[in-house]
Amino acid sequence: MNTQDKVKINKLPTGVPGLDEIVGGGLPEFSFNIIAGAPGSGKTTLAHQFVFANATPERPALYFTVLGESAIKMLRYQQQYTFFNPAMLPGSIRFINLSQVVLEKDLGAVLQEITKEVEKANPAVVVVDSFRTMVRKPESDMDLQSFIQRLALFLASWQATTFLIGEYAEDELRDNPIFTVADGLFWLRQTAERNSIVRKLQIIKLRGQDSVPGLHTFRITDAGVQAFSRTFGLSGHAKNAPSHRRLSFGIPELDKMLDGGVREGDSVLVAGSSGTGKSVLATQFVAEGIRQGEPGIVAVFEERPQAYAERATSLGLDLETPQKEGKLSILYLRPLDLSVDETMHSILDAVQKIGAKRLVIDSLAGFEMALSPGFRADFRESLYRMIFALTGIGVTILSTVEVDESFTEFPFSTYSISFLTDDIIRLRYVSIDGQLRKIMVVIKMRGGNHAKDIREYEITDKGVVILGKRLTDYQGLISGIPVHSGRPDSADEPALDTGIEHET
Amino acid sequence: MTAAPKMRDLAHRLLTYEAAAGKASEPLESPTLRVYEKLRQSLGEFAGVAGFQALAFRALTQAKSEAPGLWALQVTADGSLQGLGEFKAQPGEFEPQLGSGNDQAGEGGVVLIARLLGLLRIFLGEALTFSLLRNAWPGEAFDDRNSVYGSKA
Repeated sequence: MNTQDKVKINKLPTGVPGLDEIVGGGLPEFSFNIIAGAPGSGKTTLAHQFVFANATPERPALYFTVLGESAIKMLRYQQQYTFFNPAMLPGSIRFINLSQVVLEKDLGAVLQEITKEVEKANPAVVVVDSFRTMVRKPESDMDLQSFIQRLALFLASWQATTFLIGEYAEDELRDNPIFTVADGLFWLRQTAERNSIVRKLQIIKLRGQDSVPGLHTFRITDAGVQAFSRTFGLSGHAKNAPSHRRLSFGIPELDKMLDGGVREGDSVLVAGSSGTGKSVLATQFVAEGIRQGEPGIVAVFEERPQAYAERATSLGLDLETPQKEGKLSILYLRPLDLSVDETMHSILDAVQKIGAKRLVIDSLAGFEMALSPGFRADFRESLYRMIFALTGIGVTILSTVEVDESFTEFPFSTYSISFLTDDIIRLRYVSIDGQLRKIMVVIKMRGGNHAKDIREYEITDKGVVILGKRLTDYQGLISGIPVHSGRPDSADEPALDTGIEHET
Repeated sequence: MTAAPKMRDLAHRLLTYEAAAGKASEPLESPTLRVYEKLRQSLGEFAGVAGFQALAFRALTQAKSEAPGLWALQVTADGSLQGLGEFKAQPGEFEPQLGSGNDQAGEGGVVLIARLLGLLRIFLGEALTFSLLRNAWPGEAFDDRNSVYGSKA
């Protein structure tokens, strides 16, 4: 069939931020959908958002309430959401209570009542909340499946997009013939994980639409349901071609060690124990970007933006001005029950808002702690998705990670995530001449050359300052307890490795 | 505790409107009943019979404590008013003497409707209450004058 001959299915806005992306651009017009989930999972709120986004005086929405939540109380609570526009009632949105019909008559009468109202109003949207409570009488001459079948046929012929809302438990999903009738099946889950509540949404099916598979986290705020796609809303974004540009740290000696700087679009991991200067290095990285006209984002989890900016000032780095000029955004993300997807949403919003090229995540440990316990289990997988998505659009990410100092091993990260990073810079303490000094080494640069040198550095009021040349008069530096070899420090330029990866 | 003055004003206004409208169509019908029935119809559509009945019962209980003349009134299971004949006002009677001692029926009607409107405002908020009233009385303008907080309703 010619593409032009195919029927065009219009996509309606869901009214739920993030959900249009998940359902493949919008909800198919005239579709017959079921929203299922346990009580309190957000079914009614989601339906309300759709209704308020699509109802018009010419093609209104009919919202049938049945048994269950009192309609008055439902409106009392729902109007607290910012999407609720009372001016749309009853001209564009009519709430019709069918509880009496359900209590006194059978499903046939309910269908008749819905039919009557639909014929009268010619609605664009019809919601039945909750259709499951309609099955009250076993002697009913019409079972629920037959009722839904006939309702679906009727409403489709009236060109209405429909939502049936029902309370269903997880195990009822299988072999339920009711779900076969629906064009779309939205499943909302709400689970308690330790002290956090985690909400997830799954589009189990959506006919005629390329929806994003999997479980997507969502949150209910005063703006209603907000969904966070697993693709972070980037599925429609073109991937940037790999760049050969090098991004400077603003520390000439370190840039030399990195063969000119970090490759644009790389994911860089700066690992070290407490006080080794990970955050300082990260701050210098983002500040240098701003100096070169590359807006940046700093996502902090362990200190507030003001404190972060003040610490930068003590290093001679001005983060206040670029914030005012919209070239830098310092995000403080620590509600303790975040999902990675929500974090990503905040970061992406900021990236798009200021056109950020550099992103600092300070630190991964703080990031993990900010997540709800349930999401911590998927931290590595989430990080992978996040890094892949962001570097795919050309953002260079520098993450800091704290590692426990050991004198028997040289770990790069506690997360076994080095495979997620293109470049690793390791900072550590060494005991030299009765002093606890600091050394730095570039562990890997994926696909590029880097110095093999171990360099001593200090943190001064100018930030990280690399001292002298590579340390050649000590052996066993990475053990933290080197032995003096008697050879003088090298005066050579940094020797470059050829990019062979050193995996943890 | 008495009905809020703003709700009384609004109730009075609705009763006046219906008294005038009733003169032409059904001169013997009580304005209170006409207002009540319109509210029952409008509210019942989305709240259901039971929802309206519960609200009306509460409003009547409150109103009886304020206007003892309403003692004979009952809200039936379907939400309709019973016993209105006990104090039915004569056509046109309640408006000019509203609240006066010789018009207990008129005063009772105002109190009952004011209480019902007051409950609606508590549960639904001002905007939705006025939206509902606009739907029930499409010819009437509910503007700033009626707004409890003086904002645009």
